[in-house]
Amino acid sequence: MRALVIDDSRAMRRIVGGTLEGFGYETRQAGHGQEALDVLHEGWLPEVCTIDWNMPVMDGLQFVSTVRANPAWRAVTLVMVTSESEHGQIVRALAAGAHEYVIKPFTADALRDKFALLGLLPQEAAL
Amino acid sequence: MTTPVITALLDGSTIQEIAEQAWSALVGEEEVLVPLPGELPAATLSSWVGIAGPWTGSVVLTCGTDTAEQLTRALLREHAPEELDAEDVSDALGELANVVGGNVKAVLPGPAALGLPEVGTPPAAGQPADTLRVDALWRGQPLSITVQGALGPPHTPASDIEEENEVPL
Amino acid sequence: MTLTATSFDWVRQLVHRESAIVLAPGKEYLVEARLLPIAREMGLPDVGQLVDSVRSRPSPEHTRKIVEALTTNETSWFRDGDPFTALTSTVLPALLATRKPHDRLQIWSAACSSGQEPYTIAMLLEDALPNAGTRVSITATDLSRDMVERTRAGRFSQLEINRGLPAPMLVRHFTRAGSEWEVAPTLRRMVTARECNLAAPLPPMGPFDVVYLRNVLIYFDLPTKQAILRRVRALMRPDGWLFLGAAETTLGVDDSWERVVTGRSSAYRPLKGK
Repeated sequence: MRALVIDDSRAMRRIVGGTLEGFGYETRQAGHGQEALDVLHEGWLPEVCTIDWNMPVMDGLQFVSTVRANPAWRAVTLVMVTSESEHGQIVRALAAGAHEYVIKPFTADALRDKFALLGLLPQEAAL
Repeated sequence: MTTPVITALLDGSTIQEIAEQAWSALVGEEEVLVPLPGELPAATLSSWVGIAGPWTGSVVLTCGTDTAEQLTRALLREHAPEELDAEDVSDALGELANVVGGNVKAVLPGPAALGLPEVGTPPAAGQPADTLRVDALWRGQPLSITVQGALGPPHTPASDIEEENEVPL
Repeated sequence: MTLTATSFDWVRQLVHRESAIVLAPGKEYLVEARLLPIAREMGLPDVGQLVDSVRSRPSPEHTRKIVEALTTNETSWFRDGDPFTALTSTVLPALLATRKPHDRLQIWSAACSSGQEPYTIAMLLEDALPNAGTRVSITATDLSRDMVERTRAGRFSQLEINRGLPAPMLVRHFTRAGSEWEVAPTLRRMVTARECNLAAPLPPMGPFDVVYLRNVLIYFDLPTKQAILRRVRALMRPDGWLFLGAAETTLGVDDSWERVVTGRSSAYRPLKGK
């Protein structure tokens, strides 16, 4: 299973990436939406992307809309992981096509719960 | 309409609560912020994010440079590199400001936009009434979180001041 | 830091005695942070003085508050999701087929903690039944008064909201309340919260169609487990459904239950004639 971790903070990329590797994922990282699109265009298609909202060059919401507009990427699950936490922002992200939403600050357990909900937790990581 | 000042929108205990959650989730489950003041050392580092909306200003996190380094290690835990470089520290401190700032923004009137984190010398604060500061100790070391209004326009446009003057006392 | 080594030790021993939880040395800051709100509430300047005060004038009320402040942990929404999936896929259709249209469906969340379980049930039923508001009543009980009050308030921190609550349900059923999230009034009206000690005779309640008694029995010895199951059964409808925690069973404890498979989990139903 593959996961693409998109965040402009490298600390956050290491934390999210490390946690997902702990779940059994092979991960790659991108510092903004455009960099993430480059990875997808390269043909490295992940099961799931974790996406920060506020990033330079291309923000997370634009990235979500772009991925959703491409039928070839329909199978990719999109999980926002961001400190944007108003009710309206979560509605916007879901409307744009995000499947789940994790609010920063989050714990490794919170990521695990959300991945379990999405059926994206490999069996051996379920406990 | 007068632009609201931060003290009318937010109280210290809400900032404390937001910061405590950020610490317990990101820095470590049992890492706590004790709401007691301490004296910041001479060498400090600040990170902040801007908020632009009905209230405009920034959320600034300040701590000693040693504390910043320890915070970075705690945040990265087993994902920390052997040697931390300056960018690791400013990135981690910036991310903490982003997390606290995003949650502060959610409590303030919207719609508002959150800026990208910055690290260095924080922007000058506006009027004292538009500043809210929380001091806390983390592992016995002082740090502060300041939610401060922007200096000058567009925060206090002339039209608002005029309107204010029209209000009968 | 206002906590002396003696005070910290007193707190450690108290928490260990009351909850079997061990506070390791080095957790002074945790104790300080968790107990400061209680000190402030009592009009005391710091935690050192709180400990002194409670030591010199022991009060069950304050002792309980101290223990609860140091032992509460986060619970997830949809914790072990299968018993919730079974509610809408198996249990609800069976109940609707046998009940009259105006019969109230009564559900009991028997160890509701801070309210995640009863509100998970309320959300699922509101999404599944057009008239859930008038049709369903959920009784939420807990041993801890603090937990009962928290359930009643229906407010959750950001960290609690993050634990397994699906985002579409969050936006549909919650609103922001300062730095917290508040469950919709329609759901709060479905839930009645009260204190209840499962290890003692139960107050008159029910009869319940469905009971969630999860991760409670594990804390008790065999005779107490048997007594609890007997008392719970007396409050259930003869064709009711009981859900236990993933590591719990009635097998070998009380033979008056039938185990039935509900999707990926199991439920227990009272055996007739027992």
